[in-house]
Amino acid sequence: MAVSATVDGVLAELAARKRWRLSHVAVAAVVVAFLAWCAEGAGLRPKELANALPAIGEYFYRMTPPKWEFSEVLWKPAVETLYIALWGNVIALLIGLPLGILAAGNVTRSALVRNSAKAVLNLLRSISELIWAVFFVAAVGLGPFPGALALGVNFGGILGRLYAEALENIDPGPVEALEATGASRLQVIAYAMLPQALPQFVTFNLYWFEVGVRSATVLGMVGAGGIGFELVTTIRLFEWRETGVVLLLILAMVTIIDMASTWIRSKIY
Amino acid sequence: MSAPTFDAVVAATLAQESQRRMRRSTHALIWGVAVVAVLWFTAAQIGLNPLALAKGLPFMADFFSRMFPPDLAHLGLLGDVTVETIQIAVWGTLIAIVLSIPLALLGAKNTTPHPIVFHATRMLLNALRAINELVFALIFVAAVGLGPFAGVLAIALHATGMLAKFCAEELEGVDRGPVEAVQATGAGRMQVILFGMIPQVIPAFISYSIYRFDVSIRAATILGLVGAGGLGFSLIKTMKLFKYHETATCILVIFVLVFVSDWACSRIRAKIL
Amino acid sequence: MDLEIKGLSKTYPGASVRALNDVSIRVPAGEFLVILGPSGAGKSTLLRCINRLVEPSEGKVFHNGAEITSANGDLRAIRRSFGMVFQQFNLVKRLSVLTNVLSGRLGHRSVLRSLAYSFPEADKRIAVECLARVNMDHKAFQRADTLSGGEQQRVAIARALAQQPQVILADEPVASLDPKIARQVLGYLRQAAQELGITVLCNLHQVDYAREFAERVVGMSRGAVVFEGPSSLLTDEVLHRIYYREPGEEAKEEQ
Repeated sequence: MAVSATVDGVLAELAARKRWRLSHVAVAAVVVAFLAWCAEGAGLRPKELANALPAIGEYFYRMTPPKWEFSEVLWKPAVETLYIALWGNVIALLIGLPLGILAAGNVTRSALVRNSAKAVLNLLRSISELIWAVFFVAAVGLGPFPGALALGVNFGGILGRLYAEALENIDPGPVEALEATGASRLQVIAYAMLPQALPQFVTFNLYWFEVGVRSATVLGMVGAGGIGFELVTTIRLFEWRETGVVLLLILAMVTIIDMASTWIRSKIY
Repeated sequence: MSAPTFDAVVAATLAQESQRRMRRSTHALIWGVAVVAVLWFTAAQIGLNPLALAKGLPFMADFFSRMFPPDLAHLGLLGDVTVETIQIAVWGTLIAIVLSIPLALLGAKNTTPHPIVFHATRMLLNALRAINELVFALIFVAAVGLGPFAGVLAIALHATGMLAKFCAEELEGVDRGPVEAVQATGAGRMQVILFGMIPQVIPAFISYSIYRFDVSIRAATILGLVGAGGLGFSLIKTMKLFKYHETATCILVIFVLVFVSDWACSRIRAKIL
Repeated sequence: MDLEIKGLSKTYPGASVRALNDVSIRVPAGEFLVILGPSGAGKSTLLRCINRLVEPSEGKVFHNGAEITSANGDLRAIRRSFGMVFQQFNLVKRLSVLTNVLSGRLGHRSVLRSLAYSFPEADKRIAVECLARVNMDHKAFQRADTLSGGEQQRVAIARALAQQPQVILADEPVASLDPKIARQVLGYLRQAAQELGITVLCNLHQVDYAREFAERVVGMSRGAVVFEGPSSLLTDEVLHRIYYREPGEEAKEEQ
């Protein structure tokens, strides 16, 4: 019967598709070999893994009960961390916005300007904020100021590229319409392009502010302010119960910022 | 009563418009003043000083000059560490992917078995996300010793938090229609999740995992600062020995690695979406 | 093998009007019943109360003499016997046509086996046969979102057929399709149901389709049944009752 022949045909093809072909096996073998090589290089041995969990558990156990009195010393660095994140983002905006606009394909006609802006942004974002912090500490000394600069420079690169992408993805319709009225290039950018990308810009800035707070917590390690210094010190001095307090404080800070950010986002949209 | 004249309508609308402008301007002014006040205050607190920066630029320039030109002979020694950095990122991300799937299922409102489980999972994920890889690395170096192993664990835990929360939010946002359809066939809860929900989130999950790998590479390059393996260790070592030309080489390698990783990941993610 | 709906009522929480108002219908086995009415008449709620995607506020539903509305019923077993076809097709877009149809067998399969996304050979045969019934077997391996609307709905029908159900509940299956395709889809539904002896409850708002495909029509308006009979009895007066009834008019229609 014709129908049965079709059914058998499809079932046969299904079986053929499911069979383990040589190419599949080869790919699987290569992937497994690669992962094994990586594991070896990264020092992942089953015995170590088995020992690691209890060891880590023991360290977290040493952090209890947290020494709450220690938090008195932590308020100032904690708040400083937030300030660093805030100004880091402001500087990032100041650096990233002009560069991002210049780097957008539909904004800048000159390929030279565009590619230069892109190159600068890449340079800024590819070097970790910690490394930048080391430079800025050398320039202006220890404290939160170099931290904010480092964060600003690194995030400026990141945000700049995000801004450029957002601008490149806008609806070209309104842009065309405005160009047709005879508006100048700058007017078209200001009235047709930027307003469309603005909601995305705000989203980016809110998200990266959160990331900034997390990053700012470790800048103190290289002397660039914030709670990182207290954190490193307590760990190096094996003051585990104090370390626990620092961690809890960081957790609280980030959670609050996260909730505030969600609230702000709900208000905007 | 006569219909309003054209001029009357225009005048009325303009009056309304200028009223709204006034209201918006006052709002903007108040917000503006508040923002400037906050920024001014915080700037003072952290010692923001453009003048100091200007004065400090010569120091930075000096720093750079001591690094330039980078000692390219040093490149040979960096090969192993670079490879180690990549290996750390690979396994850190892999462990995160494996752990994040069950955690995402437990942490999404529509797939979690019980509200208590949901909230506990969300708290755990928030904790993992809040703590920087570097901080985890510091603790793990103390717990399991120096070397890349601590780095892998540090990256894995933080990335798990990020990946699981992302996946949970995707699960909460799936199209309900196909889910209802699978339910209507008499499928059990787990089957509905497997056939109705998970297929919808797979592309976004893969894309975000690749993004996480890119972030892990960045993180892996500096974990060495605290002794958790990778290029960071060479960086800090050469700085402490004042061999700034070699430091420059390290920074150069880090830059290239991060750049290539970013380029590759963007390409792959574009192909998937 | 018949379906009996007795005094079914539903009020959604927070709503002031009843979505379903004391609905009683008896459907003999194998019938192609069309439930005709404007949107908001309660047709969707009625179908969903039967397979308990929505829980009724009052009333009972009996299938083959057994009550299926009681809270103790095994939901999976109940839903297995009822296949559902949706207005939005509701296929899982990224899965293949075949996998979508196979998911109709999930009610019969253990959870453990499903974890590996694998099905026994017998299930695969059933799925492909159902696809052949709606003439979609040649696209078995394509992704569901590459198909046109009519094709997707045919696959959805195949999915319902794969359950080997006794009843198919079709909720406005052709509302988003244009007339030629809609007739084709309804044709496949009716033919498959006739060949396999499946009862069909089909929600429609288009009178022409009701006339063409129904053995019997139940007219609904504002949650109540206002007409029951063959489509030949769908006079203008009856249609007015279905489509233009004002709130507050009595629902005193004879069975």
